[in-house]
Amino acid sequence: MRRSRGAFASRLAAISFVGVLALAGCAKDTGDGGDNASGGGQGQPCELADPPAAPQGSESNTEENDGGDVDASDLKVGLAFDVGGRGDASFNDAAAAGVDRAEEELGVADSKETTAAATESEDAKMSRLRQMATDGFNPVIAVGFAYAESVKKVAPQFPDTQFAIVDESLDGDNVTSLVFAEEQGSFLAGVAAAYKSENCHVGFVGGVNTPLIQKFEAGFIQGAKAAAPDIEIERDYLTPAGDLSGFNDPNKGNVKAAGQLNSGADVLFHAAGASGKGVFQAAKSKDALAIGVDSDQYKDKTLADTKDVIMTSMIKEVDVAVFDFIKAMAADDLDSLPERFDLAVNGVGYSTSGGKVDDITEQLDGYKQAIIEGDIKVSDKPE
Amino acid sequence: MSTTLESAGPAKGAAPNGNGGRRRLPGWLVGVLWAVVALGVLATASYLTGVTELTSSTTAQNGLRLALPILLAALGGLWAERAGVINIGLEGMMILGTWGAAWGAYYGGPWAGLLAAAVFGALGGLLHAVATVTFGVNHIVSGVAINLLGLGIAKYLAKLVFEPLSGNPRQSPPVEKFDTYSATWLADWLGDLENAQRVVLSDVAGLLRGLVTGVSPLAMLALLLVPISYVALWRTRFGLRLRSCGENPTAAESLGVRVYLHKYLALLISGGFAGMGGAALVLLPGGADYLEDQTGGRGYIGLAAMIFGNWRPGGLLGGAALFGYADGLQLSAGGSAILALLYGAVLLLGVIVVVQLVRRRWIAAAVGAGSALLLYYVYWSVDELSSDLTPYTAHAVTLVVLAAAAQRLRPPKSIGSTYQRGVDG
Repeated sequence: MRRSRGAFASRLAAISFVGVLALAGCAKDTGDGGDNASGGGQGQPCELADPPAAPQGSESNTEENDGGDVDASDLKVGLAFDVGGRGDASFNDAAAAGVDRAEEELGVADSKETTAAATESEDAKMSRLRQMATDGFNPVIAVGFAYAESVKKVAPQFPDTQFAIVDESLDGDNVTSLVFAEEQGSFLAGVAAAYKSENCHVGFVGGVNTPLIQKFEAGFIQGAKAAAPDIEIERDYLTPAGDLSGFNDPNKGNVKAAGQLNSGADVLFHAAGASGKGVFQAAKSKDALAIGVDSDQYKDKTLADTKDVIMTSMIKEVDVAVFDFIKAMAADDLDSLPERFDLAVNGVGYSTSGGKVDDITEQLDGYKQAIIEGDIKVSDKPE
Repeated sequence: MSTTLESAGPAKGAAPNGNGGRRRLPGWLVGVLWAVVALGVLATASYLTGVTELTSSTTAQNGLRLALPILLAALGGLWAERAGVINIGLEGMMILGTWGAAWGAYYGGPWAGLLAAAVFGALGGLLHAVATVTFGVNHIVSGVAINLLGLGIAKYLAKLVFEPLSGNPRQSPPVEKFDTYSATWLADWLGDLENAQRVVLSDVAGLLRGLVTGVSPLAMLALLLVPISYVALWRTRFGLRLRSCGENPTAAESLGVRVYLHKYLALLISGGFAGMGGAALVLLPGGADYLEDQTGGRGYIGLAAMIFGNWRPGGLLGGAALFGYADGLQLSAGGSAILALLYGAVLLLGVIVVVQLVRRRWIAAAVGAGSALLLYYVYWSVDELSSDLTPYTAHAVTLVVLAAAAQRLRPPKSIGSTYQRGVDG
């Protein structure tokens, strides 16, 4: 290892010279992106099918049912969140918003929130529900299909407590199922994507491959195909059923979305919870568009840097469902709840913030009307 | 990893004089040989199956990005374990790092974020040092505690600091990310070569192009830290002392090495690297900002990569790269590409069988041939791998390859034991 200092120095100099030469070519990437094989350019917009006629003078039947004279001051609401909990900017948050509103408008006496961990056992979920029921919380609202088994087991043990479960259809005397017609809302997202795609090529990124998320996929595909029969559709899931990390991994969502964009898709719809952030960022870096899910994601502060790519969001009014449930419970009138929160009762829908779909609302409302009237049947299974 | 690399040597004609008296190949050459074999296998598989994604620049780019957090965590593990402290708390230190990264980047840009991440991670390391070195707590217990604590502290701090900013206790507001850099002339040239679809050449060009486009300073830094760690640990006096604390602390102390000090330093560095691994999730373009639970077990995977890498920087780089590559491939290309990778595995096993035959190791060769046949049967009979399995490709590939490659692991001798000054260990 003993070499003369001079030789060492000259080698060092040579190495640094090469380094400098190499650096000279290392340009900084500009933000406009889309320079590498994004598939843009060669495609062209879809040939669109004729949309159903828009409803004439459609009166929106979104009459907000405010708190009114219902008094819920004797209710203690227990809220069991799925992975993510309050602050997931998605359905947990929406459920929380419903309870918050019930507290404000109906005077709910007390509420308690608990959150599931990503890798917890069924036992942990059950004891969470049991704990709340034992503590006198009534109703106990379980947010998310992950609670299905637990509610099924725990509810019969507490016949005097009313349980509700979001996103899952369960039988039982004291169980109310708050389910949504996600496929109908996603159908409209698919239509919007087809109208806005410049390559006639769209993509779907699902978080976890469960029957629930498949409803989003199914609706999206049917909608896109209804609007443009020749459309190409990418569809991927981040993780298989059972591995819920797909809802909480934006880095993976980003890579998956970038892959879809590279194959030529230019409008992406995600149903991937917090992983959606990565989808939006991929869309932004490739100048594509994306569609949010569950809530109006354009308004989400944690997505503020990518909101200009969020053309619309498929909205699921979990807050309305939860609020309606608490209200019906307080009024002792649970039968008044709709069996399914669908387009007809505005349980699902699309957002218009950002103004990117303002030019196609007529067509979207046409499809919406056709679904409500039953002219278009949307299946909840991907074919 | 380096152990089998030697065994691959003879087939390359490095040792003409039979079984005995083989000359030991230098570590870097072994690494290069492995890289060449891997490239050859991938290029052949990509050519024969027609799945170009195996060696596309996108795959390489994604792979690099997904490998970074794991690489940094593994480096963190290396420093701790070389000083004799098991660091299962890497995950918790990474979580602290994600929070620090988002916090620093929100107020001072990505470099401040990286620094804050390293500092927060190092605080976790310090805690681990206080518990294990000063108070002699069992390393696993302390590590698990740090994992829980890291998560809890990050949750608390996020609620305290981020909720007013983002309206969301689980996420930070969007923070500034690192810029990316590309060696444009090189990338263009490689891009032409990649598109030319020439055998092997295009594959190499594709992979290389992915590694020189859209590279963040953090990626360069992380890759630089591998040789830096090697030099610091194996070529300096400080490194020798640090490693001696992991081999035989009593002897080291008797020779005047300040064991406690070196263990503390090692854990500070370890935590700092793990924290930077957390930053790699937050601060890369397309990253997540701060998001609760976003590390998703990457700290453990980093630890595993380090162990399979035989507690060596080169080995852990291989482990992290393998994991990142398989994960990137799986995410960007899906089941068909994984099937092609399976085909590549068959080829690799073929090579290994030939090597074992040359070395007259009949049983090993038979086992290799059997597994190759089995894999080939799977490859032949399945059209597309079930989407339920593809997400775990990375785990499976890393496990299989590294388990096969690193059969003779040698951990630092006194790893995991509690050293108390003055008490005879």
